[in-house]
Amino acid sequence: MNRRHLLVPAGALLAIVVGFLVWGGLTENVVYYLTPSEAVDQRADQEPGYRFRLGGLVEADWMEGTDEGVRFMVGDGAVSIPVEHAGAVPQLFRPGIGVVVEGAWDGDLFRSDTLLINHDEQYRAVDGEGTYQVPTGQP
Amino acid sequence: MTGGAATIRPKPRAITVAGSAALCLMVVGLYMSVTAPKEETQGEAARLLFVHVPSVITAYIALGTGLVAAAWYLIRRSPTADLVSAAAIEVGVLLTAMTLLTGMIWGRFVWGVWWDWGDARMVSTAVLFFFYLGYLALRRAIVDARVRALRCAVLGIVGFVQVPIVHYSVLWFRTLHQGPSIIRPDLADSTMDAAFVAPLGAALAAFIAALAYLLLVRVRIARLEAAVARSATTSQPVGASVGPPQLGGRDGR
Repeated sequence: MNRRHLLVPAGALLAIVVGFLVWGGLTENVVYYLTPSEAVDQRADQEPGYRFRLGGLVEADWMEGTDEGVRFMVGDGAVSIPVEHAGAVPQLFRPGIGVVVEGAWDGDLFRSDTLLINHDEQYRAVDGEGTYQVPTGQP
Repeated sequence: MTGGAATIRPKPRAITVAGSAALCLMVVGLYMSVTAPKEETQGEAARLLFVHVPSVITAYIALGTGLVAAAWYLIRRSPTADLVSAAAIEVGVLLTAMTLLTGMIWGRFVWGVWWDWGDARMVSTAVLFFFYLGYLALRRAIVDARVRALRCAVLGIVGFVQVPIVHYSVLWFRTLHQGPSIIRPDLADSTMDAAFVAPLGAALAAFIAALAYLLLVRVRIARLEAAVARSATTSQPVGASVGPPQLGGRDGR
């Protein structure tokens, strides 16, 4: 095999590495979301209005539907952050499930406009219906 | 080989066997997938597991076959190894596309989004898909069969480094995509109820049989194509009986 034949694989390998680096740069960092503890720790270093993703488990207390969406607490066992979400609420949203919300601090409140479900790798069989009704804002 | 046409070999029995096995297993797998219990968190959407996961596992197997055949080509320079490698990677690209598609539908149902560029599992799978699309493009870009086989073999080997990246991305990075349920660092603590493992196993068996079938058919097509191409270059051209003009005319006067 002469040197010319190494060009294609070397270029391909380079493309893969550059691709991942560019992607890492585009998404700020390869940390997809901050946990509530990290978010509180890093708050002092962030500029006002800095957008980031916050990930944790939905806590039942304080949870209620609002006109625009839903408000709830996101916690990681140590720290809990109140979240006001305005926008679509996925069907699987319920207390105890993992979520990723995207938004920024507003005082001690986290205002989010994107709410994603981040469920775990558990697969449990059920016989019944087992559906949870998301509380609505209407009185 | 004399006479213009390539000799058409009869369809190998292995193709019939693999095809029938795939069909039977698919019926069984489909039945078990539909009758499996509902999942506690995800509900009916969890049934996509029985298509999504077998797709990606067989995609890994196909790309792995492409890797082994490519290495075999580099060692022995066997044209058959080149054909097998190309066929396996082609089927692997198809299965990767199916993985992306079923994953997007599942994501829309469960996470609430079709796609997220921040997620390492999704992005690395997309990079894998486009890399191997590039491999298929390279095969069509090189005319000389030996140069093509050599370069594609190297590319087919290099590309496989992405498979462990895709698989471990959910363990290396924080992702929206959940971690592995069965193929975990500690294989003993599976997080999947047995009620889902059985249909998943049946679906996987069906996908593996289908992969074998597609591979055998694709290799057969490639060999027939190669035979036709060979006969086209070795047989007499149409104008062969017309000789060049000669001094003194044909009767030698």
